[in-house]
Amino acid sequence: MKKLYQDVLFVLLCCLTPLVVNAQSFRVQCPTSTITHPDPSHAGVNNSEPPYVGPTYTGTNGYPSAPANVNGAIKCQQIGGGDGLSTMGDGAQIYMFAFGPLSGLADIANGLPGTEFPNVFNTVYPGGAFLPGDPATTIGAGSGPNQIPIGSSPTTLFTYNGAVGLVNDPTAQADNPSACDPGVSGFCDTGHVDPRAIIDIGVMNGNIPAPLLAFDEDDEVFFTLTNVGMIMRPDLFEQHTVHFHGYPNASSFYDGVPDASVAINIGGSFTYYYMAPDAGTYFWHCHITPPEHLQMGMVAQLYVRPRQDRVPAGQSLYTALVAQQGDNRTKCDSTQDILCSNPVPAVNTGATNPAAVYSAAVSGTNPNGPRSGYAYNDGDGSTYYDVEYPIQIHGFDPNFHFVGMTFNPEEFNDMKDKYFLLNGRSYPDTVTPGPLATQVTDGKMHFSQPLPSIINIPAGGRALLRISDLDVTEYQTLASLGIPMTVIGFNAKLLRDQTGNNMYYNSNSITLAGGESLDVILDTCVVRSTLSVPSSTCTTAMPTGTYYLYTPNLDHLSNDAENFGGLMTEVHIN
Amino acid sequence: MNATNTKMMTSKTRLLVLLVLALLLTATAHAAAPGITGPTFNLTAQASYLSQPDGAAVYSWGYGCDPTKALPGFAPTAITSPFCNAMQVPGPTLIVTEGQTVIVNLTNNLPTAAGNTSILFPGFQVTAAAAATQPSASCTASTAAVQGLLTTEATPGCTVAYTFTASSPGTRAYYSGSQGDLQVEMGLYGAIIVLPSTAPTNGSCPFHNTAAGLNALGTALVTGGENDFRLSTTGAAYHLTQSCYDREYLFQFSEMDPNIHRKALAQVTDIANCTVTASRPVCPTTLEVPTEPYQPAYFMINGRSMPDDMDPNYATEYPHQPYNGNPHMHPGELTLIRVIGQGRWQHPFHEHGNHVRILARDGNLIVSQSNPAMLAGRLEFTTDTTPGQAFDGIFYWTAKGLNWDAYGHSPSSNDGNATLSCTPDANGYNTGTAAQTAINYYEWCQDHNKPLQVAPFGDVAGGGPATLPDPNIFANGPWYGGSPYLGPDATLRATGCMPTNALQTNAPNCGTTGTTPPSGTIANSPSGEAGFAFMWHSHNEREITTNNIFPGGMLMMMLVDSREFVIDESN
Repeated sequence: MKKLYQDVLFVLLCCLTPLVVNAQSFRVQCPTSTITHPDPSHAGVNNSEPPYVGPTYTGTNGYPSAPANVNGAIKCQQIGGGDGLSTMGDGAQIYMFAFGPLSGLADIANGLPGTEFPNVFNTVYPGGAFLPGDPATTIGAGSGPNQIPIGSSPTTLFTYNGAVGLVNDPTAQADNPSACDPGVSGFCDTGHVDPRAIIDIGVMNGNIPAPLLAFDEDDEVFFTLTNVGMIMRPDLFEQHTVHFHGYPNASSFYDGVPDASVAINIGGSFTYYYMAPDAGTYFWHCHITPPEHLQMGMVAQLYVRPRQDRVPAGQSLYTALVAQQGDNRTKCDSTQDILCSNPVPAVNTGATNPAAVYSAAVSGTNPNGPRSGYAYNDGDGSTYYDVEYPIQIHGFDPNFHFVGMTFNPEEFNDMKDKYFLLNGRSYPDTVTPGPLATQVTDGKMHFSQPLPSIINIPAGGRALLRISDLDVTEYQTLASLGIPMTVIGFNAKLLRDQTGNNMYYNSNSITLAGGESLDVILDTCVVRSTLSVPSSTCTTAMPTGTYYLYTPNLDHLSNDAENFGGLMTEVHIN
Repeated sequence: MNATNTKMMTSKTRLLVLLVLALLLTATAHAAAPGITGPTFNLTAQASYLSQPDGAAVYSWGYGCDPTKALPGFAPTAITSPFCNAMQVPGPTLIVTEGQTVIVNLTNNLPTAAGNTSILFPGFQVTAAAAATQPSASCTASTAAVQGLLTTEATPGCTVAYTFTASSPGTRAYYSGSQGDLQVEMGLYGAIIVLPSTAPTNGSCPFHNTAAGLNALGTALVTGGENDFRLSTTGAAYHLTQSCYDREYLFQFSEMDPNIHRKALAQVTDIANCTVTASRPVCPTTLEVPTEPYQPAYFMINGRSMPDDMDPNYATEYPHQPYNGNPHMHPGELTLIRVIGQGRWQHPFHEHGNHVRILARDGNLIVSQSNPAMLAGRLEFTTDTTPGQAFDGIFYWTAKGLNWDAYGHSPSSNDGNATLSCTPDANGYNTGTAAQTAINYYEWCQDHNKPLQVAPFGDVAGGGPATLPDPNIFANGPWYGGSPYLGPDATLRATGCMPTNALQTNAPNCGTTGTTPPSGTIANSPSGEAGFAFMWHSHNEREITTNNIFPGGMLMMMLVDSREFVIDESN
């Protein structure tokens, strides 16, 4: 009884006038130089984040040939849309429609975002052919109890973060060298890929949640969705899309709603282009037949780091936020714009940017590594965190997934979640370090659930929890035992009124529906050296030990028939 | 083929037909926040059937206009051919002005077995008594109205009068206060909108561009431009200038469990037909309809499920569901959304395209602790609807921040609309006097002429960062405008098919038809509308189904239209 839209889409299936048809199938995009991020001399300036020293454009009339200050960089990521299997808390394997990583493999396996600078993304795999299941196969997942902690003592290192399948384009090299992106030496990079590698890695490689996407304000983002097909449902010629949920002033073309745009078929790639929006905790998901594809697992996390992270060390955050008012794109004048959320704060706390935040933010080594920073451009340092954890709430209905695997029509009204997931895992898997692996139909282990949700906080430190919910059936509550939750943001917007007063509130629980997100600070400090500056030294910390995040929806503390588990994880104050 | 499959095929085919019909209609169907004006309202509560897109006619109860009384006034006046039948879901939207004394006479014409009924007006100080005028002599001052648990109730066949002062502006719910678990489920709910009596205290509302709406060539205004469909005469929803708006829409969320409705109908019929016989010595007199366990199958906005909600207001095929959900807006227009949760579940309402500023809840403006002239409501991309609760929010869409020119302006083109200028105001938008009749009014000037695509796309210049996928390997949606660009002119230029009198510089290969761009979509025609379509829907995604069929339920498409397209919210 589903998939009416496919019929309609099929009926309406036709195409744009093929003006420039490259007969492309799979393809990636990651330019090294653009109008907003020019690099005409191929110096590699877009391979790191520059400091924020002033507005990108101060004028408003059109765009000058070069920005006054180049802010942000270029970030790229590739994902595969297909299917896969994952392992639930009771040991059951469950079938998913799912996205898997096709770039940033090492970072994703380490529980990090897979969003890379061009010099990392545009790298040909140096190891020859991939092994199906990689990186799990190379690292050796499956030799232990279904998962191995990587980073501690892997048998073989797998460090490749480039675009899977990317190869030299011999045709362009011979016929049209100007099409080669000259920013990368050694091969002609047109985004040309070898489909073999895409299929070797991408088939039955679904993750729950789907690959994490994170970047910085002012970045240009090239997010390539490669549709590898769902091998266990060959009857479905499903398209997939990326809906960047919460993108302000979205274009419908890149909004990922198949009804209002185009959707990529099996065997093709669609690169979504975004100018990074305001900092905050967003998320992304497929928008094809949402009650089906979201329940089946096509959900993911996404966050944008603020340009405040890049304010040079020791400089005033307040002054930097005032400077942002000089660019109409980044300013927030409450009297002019009813939809801006971070006006200059009512009180100048005098907070300055710590050197650690600045140096981590502008480092070109790995944009995805753990670091301290701010959740928003607050101008007062009040959203400072020492560690950050993306946490996504989700639910799986095993009956629906079984029906979804077996060629039968699904019943939406009867949908009843039985697995309650944090980052795709139920307790006790939530506190298992490293990626969870699942053996799929090719007999290989695949990293199916890369993200644990153990919250490790240094004693006296502050943890930012970027919490989102993509349940498709009901509201869910997450409570904190012992550590108060301070809610600082909601739906990717700072909680601040039009006058500049912070409207943060303390709570012991938060409740979200599918399609919502919020930001919580867990502050383990009791007394600070400077009360108003959260990055200042903690003089009295909460006791070290294990605390809990759990759901007071008590029936959600279960893993299907097991009356133990569900939506729960641990917070360690170390 | 077994019976189940046959049923599947049948319902699928039927829905497909319905959907195609709906698509045809949506090309001209728009929404406002229509209702009836008072301040005295003569309502009746009675039974009828609601149409659902799976073909079901669901027995329901609703408020409507008492057919024995004079026809009420309707607003906004620009909507033609309104009606108010004796039963509708949601009930008539009551539109009053702040300070008015509102009298609602409610006559209980429900089946006698349903017992008493009533209306609650949360947020107002209500007095209630038997109405002075009663439908029949059997309704006396002592029998027409009785005190119920929550309010004064009308007994079967009689009339109760509720009187209150519309004390402050805002959107609020009204609904039955009698056996609410059944009566609200059956459809006894509606909305009351109180308009402010005076202009905002911190500055009157700014310029409202009703002159928008240019013809396809952008050379002259359509006669009269666009009508103003706002209810508020001050242009604001409250007493602050931040509540000024250009368009408004009312969305009431509810769900139905058809089993409850079936059982209610069965019992009502049985009670009405029952006669005492030897084999049936006692006839039941009251309904005993279980309302738990609750498993709704219909998820509705304004009493309709998608795609019916995108048909016009007062569409004749829905005599008991007159209100639609089909918002349109131009870039930069401040759009007031009035949203009420009317069922028993919460629904996360996701507005694609931008955030919503929550202005108020239940008519209470949310203001800053340190300055009552500034707002403190949250910005949300998913707005929770809560049973019995209303919120007002402001939404707008501009192309700000895309980093490419959404209009596909192209300086080297010979098409005048491709070479329009963009003169930024203090906020960076093209809003000067000269721009007020231009297609690109409210363009975000920082991205003016900034290309999106690497290669030229029709008559849109290249040089941008992105490459579109091969057109042979993607599928189009029914609301896809035909190109990444906004408006017919840009879309026709991009897809290579130009009006006959226009030249192309970048791509001379115009197709022979000239007016039929390749997407061929009918819900958002590339040559006529080519808006940016955004889905507004419940993010508890299983609720965008109708009785297990996707798509359906709590789902509508919102269209951002270039000013070439005339938004006509009348029918």
